[in-house]
Amino acid sequence: MAKTYDYLFKLLLIGDSGVGKTCILFRFSEDAFNTTFISTIGIDFKIRTIELDGKKIKLQIWDTAGQERFRTITTAYYRGAMGIMLVYDITQEKSFENIKNWIRNIEENASADVEKMLLGNKCELNDKRQVSRERGEQLAVEYGIKFMETSAKASINVEEAFLTLASDIKAKMEKRLEANNPPKGGHQLKAIEPTRKSDSWLSRCSLL
Amino acid sequence: MSSENKFEDEVVDNKNKRMVRCQFCESLMLRQQTASFEKQEYDLPLMHQKNSRAPGEIEKETLSGFWVVEDMMTFENIGFSNTLDRTKFLICCDCEMGPVGYHNIDTRVSYVALSRVRHVD
Repeated sequence: MAKTYDYLFKLLLIGDSGVGKTCILFRFSEDAFNTTFISTIGIDFKIRTIELDGKKIKLQIWDTAGQERFRTITTAYYRGAMGIMLVYDITQEKSFENIKNWIRNIEENASADVEKMLLGNKCELNDKRQVSRERGEQLAVEYGIKFMETSAKASINVEEAFLTLASDIKAKMEKRLEANNPPKGGHQLKAIEPTRKSDSWLSRCSLL
Repeated sequence: MSSENKFEDEVVDNKNKRMVRCQFCESLMLRQQTASFEKQEYDLPLMHQKNSRAPGEIEKETLSGFWVVEDMMTFENIGFSNTLDRTKFLICCDCEMGPVGYHNIDTRVSYVALSRVRHVD
């Protein structure tokens, strides 16, 4: 059967336990009424389909599945990852401080050009806030990555965050394709290259 | 539970005539004409398990109509459970209700139970 999508991105959610990564992954999960069967067996990954610039993108999103309890994540988990959401809880100072450790872990284990984004989750709990928005922004600037405050519970910015990360990966990938395949006759098609007609191929997506 | 006749109304050219959505939150799982129908019996765990059951015991029901999805990337939105006996269970990506079907990790084929999803135009 013909491929029904243009890109497939593998994304990871990383951060301390309890920062609400699972809720970020599944933005309606506050309303979710997990059955005993599924909650016992646990969730491995999800597939979501989004559209950017008329391109259909499949996101395969993995949670760390408790590995973060050991404060480190193995190379195997990072293999093939194209994007990483670094998540902290704005009501937990410690989870914010640990972002630096997670970034180090990523630098040691993940591919060097993996696209990263910083998320301060649980922004609906403003009265319990321990980490100001400015500190989040500051840290993101320090690492040269994008930042957003999200609320999985109130469905604030979660979809936007995934769209932003996906759009940055897509832009990076298209730039690389462009560099490898200068637009002249008979250029080589890579498996990953969009197979649909290239309408707005190079137009940078600006969702935010 | 849906009758088999009702299932047959959903099948055109052995494929799903309508979109397949979660019966609880309407999350889109499959677009029209993307999965093929198969009449096979499979004992799928119940969504709600009784608390009184013995540890490790899983309550199941035998279901007979499934949408066969050869490539998991055909799904619009779907969740996969961890593996149990070479099988992953399929759940709604958004509300996490399930299992709505299963995935054989050896053949990599997924099966969605017609009676556990909604068919919508």
